[in-house]
This record gives sequence, structure tokens and C-alpha cells, in this order.
Amino acid sequence: MTRRATVFALVLGALGLVLPWLVYPVLAIDLVCFALFAVSLDLLFGFVGLLSFGQALFWGGGGYLTAIVLARTHVDASIAILIGVVYALVLAAIVGAIAVRRAGIYFAMITLGVAQIQYFSAFQLTSITGGENGLNLGSRGNLFGLGMEDDHVFYYVALVLIALGVWFAMRIVGSPFGGVLQAMRENEQRTIALGYRVNRYKLVVFVIAGGLAGFAGALYAIGNHLAGLEMVDWHTSGAVVMMTVLGGIGTIVGPIVGAGVFESLEYFVSKTPIGEETNLVMGFVFALCVLLFRRGIVGSFLVPRAGRVKH
Amino acid sequence: MASGAFYALLALGLSVIFGMLRVVNFAHGSMYMLGAFATYYGATLFHLPFFAALIIAPIAVGLFGVLLETTLLRRLYGLDPIYNLLLTFALVLVIEDLMRLIAGPLGSPYATPPALDGLTNLGFTLYPTYKLFVIVVSVAACAVAWWVVERTPIGARIRAATENPVLVRALGIDVKRLVTVTFGAGIALAALAGVLAAPTTNVQPTMGDSVIIYTFAIVVIGGLGSIVGSILAGFALGLLQTLGAVVFPPISTTLIFIVMVIVIVFRPAGLFGKPETSG
Amino acid sequence: MRPSRAIPAALALALLSSSVAAPPARAADSGPIKIALITDMSGVYASLAGPGAVAATNMAVEDFGGKVLGRQIVVDVVDHRNQGPLAAEKAREEFDGGADLALDMTNSGTALAVAAVAKEKHKLAIVTGAATAALTGANCNKYTYHYAYDTYALAHSTGANIAAAGGKTWYGIVPNYAFGTQMLADFTEAVKSKGGSFIHADLMPLGTTDFSSYMIAAKNAHPDVLGLLNAGADTVNSMKAAKQFGLDKQMKIAVGLLFLSDVDALPEVFAGSRITTSWYWDEDKAARAWADRYAKRMNGLRPTDIQAADYSATWQWLSAVKATGTTDADTIVKYLDGRQFNDFYAHAGEWRARDHRVLHDMYVVDVLPQSEVKLPHAWFKIVQVIPPSRAFRPESQSTCNKDW
Repeated sequence: MTRRATVFALVLGALGLVLPWLVYPVLAIDLVCFALFAVSLDLLFGFVGLLSFGQALFWGGGGYLTAIVLARTHVDASIAILIGVVYALVLAAIVGAIAVRRAGIYFAMITLGVAQIQYFSAFQLTSITGGENGLNLGSRGNLFGLGMEDDHVFYYVALVLIALGVWFAMRIVGSPFGGVLQAMRENEQRTIALGYRVNRYKLVVFVIAGGLAGFAGALYAIGNHLAGLEMVDWHTSGAVVMMTVLGGIGTIVGPIVGAGVFESLEYFVSKTPIGEETNLVMGFVFALCVLLFRRGIVGSFLVPRAGRVKH
Repeated sequence: MASGAFYALLALGLSVIFGMLRVVNFAHGSMYMLGAFATYYGATLFHLPFFAALIIAPIAVGLFGVLLETTLLRRLYGLDPIYNLLLTFALVLVIEDLMRLIAGPLGSPYATPPALDGLTNLGFTLYPTYKLFVIVVSVAACAVAWWVVERTPIGARIRAATENPVLVRALGIDVKRLVTVTFGAGIALAALAGVLAAPTTNVQPTMGDSVIIYTFAIVVIGGLGSIVGSILAGFALGLLQTLGAVVFPPISTTLIFIVMVIVIVFRPAGLFGKPETSG
Repeated sequence: MRPSRAIPAALALALLSSSVAAPPARAADSGPIKIALITDMSGVYASLAGPGAVAATNMAVEDFGGKVLGRQIVVDVVDHRNQGPLAAEKAREEFDGGADLALDMTNSGTALAVAAVAKEKHKLAIVTGAATAALTGANCNKYTYHYAYDTYALAHSTGANIAAAGGKTWYGIVPNYAFGTQMLADFTEAVKSKGGSFIHADLMPLGTTDFSSYMIAAKNAHPDVLGLLNAGADTVNSMKAAKQFGLDKQMKIAVGLLFLSDVDALPEVFAGSRITTSWYWDEDKAARAWADRYAKRMNGLRPTDIQAADYSATWQWLSAVKATGTTDADTIVKYLDGRQFNDFYAHAGEWRARDHRVLHDMYVVDVLPQSEVKLPHAWFKIVQVIPPSRAFRPESQSTCNKDW
């Protein structure tokens, strides 16, 4: 780790600790949940070169399953989250088995299409999901036996869990497994020639990314006391892509920054006189980012020139 | 069948653009929406009749497409095509929000041209005249597009440039201009679908939103870059969706995506696509 | 500091920073009294509530004198962008920031989300914008009142009125999601109670924009009534198709949910349909007088029933605050429950204690063709006034599992 990166990680960590005292605590909860969501996308896009345009499939799927369990039973929230994550993992294994065989645009289209199937199902299975009314939870329930109603308490618990998720993602990237991913990204044919079963590696990353997104979505649903159609909408898949690219792909840290900037930008734009034009502003910012700052905030300003990001 | 006519036009435009530029144009639905609005504003501001809008609106929106290509998309050609997908995604947000500011979120109705109002007796059933018209125009436009690409010198250049841009440039053909023209033409097809849609639906800023995702699925089914595949898949899936709505309504929204998954499993390149790995 | 906040790892830093940048403190009892108007400021419902709802709520506050219990009254406008999670989050933030009332909520997703937050925070929510009867049924709670209308009232006003007048056979055009299926259930029940029935109902897949084939089927079925049990863009598209194929000349058209603002936007599309509204600006002298004042602020526009309901609800709530001397929700609920009232909006009004449905007259109206409209925006002709006892679900049938 370079000194600059160490300082940056410390600043980010400190910011995470004080966040709910700086901004509204539930917004802070959203921020960290989206941060892990974006990290999950970065694992795929930044490290395997697969752009999922249906990542809301896992985020929303995990969120819905968790909310359904909490709405119908009185189990500990940890069980509900576990069920949500397992659902996301299974879904990712099935979708991944089909999707990783294709690259680039095809991969994006497949993930988008499958996410739409879930979206319409959530819309129409009103007896389970509440349809357009969403699924409201009376309370957050207990997590590991601990009452979660206080926003600050929940934030710090979520922060720890999400930090674990991010740490897990970093471990993967930094491991020999990550080294293979790196090699695949740079020269897939050569990696195949070296005897690696590339698709199997891609599938593993896809499943891990799906699980992390489902985990983040489950925490988001509990934090907000609800699962709604917005969670499975393709606009959400698009938003998380924007966060990741904005922050800087292939950096893990970048997407965290991107999620923070994106969410707070949206939050503060909505409080200004142009609050109704949030999409316009976000679209404009993102277009500029794609045209001029493709390495994102972290890639452009923090990582030294010899970035590993291919673009 | 009529919804298939819209899908075919949209899928065709999207496919032509992809074949030439390797760009999946997320803003294709927005161009469809702009085509409808061009028709609406043409009528309210300039008393432009529907049949004139059928020609003028696609040209106007196509020129807008040319502007986008030359000023924005072109900057990203050297990179992974994913970046242009992202750029066009950003354009969707901007264009839709701008139209909402101009036209309001509710949108406006556009009357069916009187000459095409009412029902036509097809012998076995009564069918809305306007829908027949939509099918005829769509089939004609698709046929023309196919003929241009497959049977004309410019089409030959387009096909060649799709296969091997470097070689074509070496032969002294201006690939840049060819790309621009193709992009404009693809956009014009989307706008034409929008013009045709204007009388059947309320013209509103988000009308392209749901359409674009279906179009993506159709293009994948037909085979990205395949003209014939896109057209046939468009019509077939429009029909399938209509039948689905009659037989079992809840499934009709997801049917296209289910078909898409099945096709990808068994024919990864789409029904008419050439097996290839780039994308 | 409450003990539950003492998470060891964060404590030191958190304490440090909280002294520097304190979170917005809960408004003390001497600060202003805050109303959170949670509405759609820019989306598809902006014209039926949105800026007009802001104007109406502010009018109520000004008319009340701008102060109650010696404290300033402020209205915080929140744009929920029709997203449930966003509405819930903003409501939570508003309540934590000292708001005592959440008002408006223009669609079922946002209304149910805010209702859940109100219950959690023990603060009051008054829903004027949303249709779902779940607010006073399965999802009822102590801190939420449903003020203007609901799917039951729409069905039992429009449906019963037409069926009683001879419209016995119905053909339904129904969007296939929660709102649509609920409307179909309610209309079926209402029509049946007057001896009629649905001969067929087509469930529209989501995103259907071309209704022509359904209209041809409906035309061939020769029903007495075409029931468009949809809302928003679906209603526009289906109504347009119905007229294109001449169904309006052959049968009565009932529209499930329609607002004055919809007709303002597309008068020729909706002319000839029969609908139900909770209030109409031209219904009587008091309504007109208020609507005139509203029009002065809003460039001549006339208010929808939702906007009028926002004024009325604000006024009634402020009166309750004044009478009880507190903004405490438990006290206010105790005061309001069972209370009867009348104002320019609510005739024969009552805050029903059983399920927190607010009762009042409902109005079955015909949408006039432009040629018969005498004043700008005077699109409606009242056909029947439905008393609260018939318009709203009877207390005996309430599905609210009252736990307070």
C-alpha cells in the first residue's frame, strides 16, 4: 500500500465512523449499503471486465427475501439476511451459468433481461411482495438478539457487516485467485492456454458479487423498513453502474467513494431549487465522467498514473 | 402484431447501429420518444399533418442523432464499447428529464389521423385500420432497410466496414462518414416507430423507458447486428406477447425475457447471428 | 445520550464529532410547529397534488393565523418522486427533525411507507393522495388517518350509482397489479350489491399502451358499462381507444380514478365518462369561495379534491392542536377519534375511531364535453351525492385489526 492510499483508507474509515453524526443517520445507512452494492459491481466490471446491467436482481432479490421473511415471521434478522443472501447466491449461480459464457454487451443484456423477469414478478405477485405498494416492515426486529430500532445502532452494526463485505472483496482481489482474474482481464486467450478454466473463475466472481449485492440489499431493506419495486428496477442497476464508474472502476475503494458522492449529490441536489431536475444533473455529471474522467474520482486523483485499470 | 411492428423498427435500428459501431444505444428508446414528440409538436406548432410527420420527424430526429454521434459518441470509439453504452445511458437521463421539463410529466394525446380511423373488415375479423397502416409502414421500412444494406453499393460498404474498417479505409472509403450516416439512419428508424406510436398512446417523456428493454431482448434473440434476425424477432415476439396477454396475462410481460434466456442457452449468438465472441 | 447509542468502537470518535457537527436537534417545544408535506413535485401526480398542494397547505396555515400555541407554523415541502423508500426516509428525517404531521402522500407505495414510519415514530400522518384501502384495512395503525378517498369509496359510489341506474352488465379493463385487482374486487362487489355483474374483465399486462384489441372485444360483448378500472396514463390510453372505436356512443363509460387536473390536461379525452370525486370546486358556495382564492395564487387554476383535502386536513389538525394545547400525536388521536366536523371540503365529516377512515360525502360526477362547460375548469356535473354511510366501508365490515 502506498502512503497516499493508506492515508486515504484511514480518512475513509474515519468518515465511516462519524458519518451518522454528519448526515441524517438513515442516509448514512443508505450510503454504506450502496457502497457495498457498488463494490460488488466493481468485482465484476473492474476485475473481470463483465458489466452487469442487472445487478439490482441481487440487491433487490436479497432485499425482498429478507423483508418477506421479516414480515411473516419473528425470526432474528440475521436469519432473514441469511435467507436473502442465499437467495441471491442461488440466483447468481443460475444466471451466472448462462451469462458468463458471453462477454461485453451480451453479458450486459442477459443480466438486464433476467433482472426484468424478477421486476415483473415482484410487481405482479402482490400477495407476496405487495406489488407497487411495496412491503413495509413494522420494525427492524432484532439482529443477533440486539434491538435495531435506533438508527445509530443499526448504522454501526451495518457498518461493521459492510466493512466485512468490503474486506472480503479486497481479499479476493489481492489473493492468487485475484491474480488469475487480473491475467484473464489482460489476456483471456493466454490464461486459457495456461490451463485455467476461465469461465469457472468468472462464475465464481459472479456468484460472490451477487451474494455481496444481496447482502447489501438485505441491510438496505432492514435499514429502510421496506422492500419496494425501486429495489428491483433497472434504473437502480443503472445507478449502481454510475456510482462505480464515477468512483473509479477496478479500485474497490472507488465505488465506495462513488456511492457516497452519488447518493449525497442526489440528496443535496434534491434540496436545492433544481431539486426536481436530479436526473438531469446526475446524467450530465455521469456523461462528463464517461467522456473525460473514465478512471473516476479515485482513479484520476488518488491512484498514481500507472493505474491497472484498462480503459 | 402491431406491437411487433414497433419492435421490428426499433430492433432494426438498434441492430444496424450495433453492427456498424459496436455500440448498444441505450438512448434508442429516447429517440423513439423524441419521434413521437416531434410529431406532436409538429402538429401543434406548425400544423404538420401526420403523413408529413412520417417523413419529417424521422429526418429531424435522425439529424439530432448525427449531432450526438459527431460530438459525443465519436470520442469513445477507440475504447471498450461498454463506455458508449454508459454514455448513451447518461443521455437517456438527460433527454428524458429535459422533455419532462418542456412537455410536463403527463404528456399529451395525439389524434389518430381521420383517414386511418375506424375498422377494416379483413374477411375473418374486423381490424383497426390504423394498426394495419402501422404494420404496412413498418414492413415497408424494414424491407427498404434490408434492400439498402444487402443490395446497394452503399450497403456493401456498410457491410464491409462492419467486417473490417481498416481495409475499407485503405480502399479510400470515408468510414467516419459511413458510421455517421448509419447511426443517423438507425435513429431515424427509432423515430419512425415513435411517429407511428404517437396516435396509439399518450405521448409522454417516459414512453421509451419500457420499450427499450424489450428491444434489447429482441435484438439479442434475433442476433445482435443481424438485420433479418431483428426484424423477424421483432414481429414474432410482438405476436407472442399479444397471444400471451390473451392466454395468460401475467406472463406476457416476462415472456420475451424468458425466450431470450432460452435462446442464449441454446444459440448464444441469437437465432440469426453469426457465432462470434466479440461484443 | 441514550445508552443504546454507546457502540464502543465508535464512541470516542462519535462523541468528538457530535460536539462539532451536531445532528439536527429535535425542535424544542418552543420552536416552530412543522408540517411535512410529502408529495410528488415533478412526476405524474404533480398536477393533482404537488405545487397546488403546497399552495393549499400554506393557505390553511395563513388562514389559521400562521401561529398556534404561540408557535410559528412552517410547512416543509418534500418531493417523494413516487418512490416508497425515498418517502419513508424523508418522513423519518422530517419526524426526527421536529415535524409533527406528515401530509398528502400521492400514491399507495409512498402512503403505506410513510404510514409505517408514523406508527414507528408515534407521529401523525394524514393521507390525502393515495387510493389503497389497506391504509384503513390490513395496514391500519393508530397514527395514520386516510382522509380523502379510497378504492372502496370509488367503487361503491361510481359502481353502485351506475348499476342502480340500469347499468347491469359491466366489461372491465383492469391493470394487472395491486391497484387494479383491488379496484376490480371493489367494483365487482359494489355492482353486485345493485343487482349487476361483470360479464368479463381483461387484465392488462403492465405497460400496455395499445388498447385497441381490448376495445374491439369490449364492443362485441355489448355490455351496459365499460369500466376502466385504471389510473394515470393507462386511463388516458384506454379512454382514447374507447372513443376511437365509438364505445362511448354505445355504452356508459365509468373511470375508476380521475382527477380534475387530468381533465384539465385532456378535456376531450375524458368527456362523457362518469367518475367519483371526494370534492368538486363548483359544488357549492363555500367551495367556490375557497377555490377562487386558490385560483388567485395559482394562475387561475382550480384545485383538485386532493389539494382541497390538504387544506382541510391541515386546518382540522391545527384546530386539534389548538384545542388540546399540544402536538403530541397520542393526545391528538384521542381528541380526533369519533369527532364530527364540517368544512368547505368535508360535509358530514367524521374521524372514524374504528379504523381511522375519515368519512364525508362523496360525489358521483359526469365529465362534460367542452361545449357544455360554462366556466373555465368547470368540467364536472354532479350526478349524485353519496352520503358517508354508503360511500365508505361500513364499520361492521372493517378489516382493520385495531391494536390501539
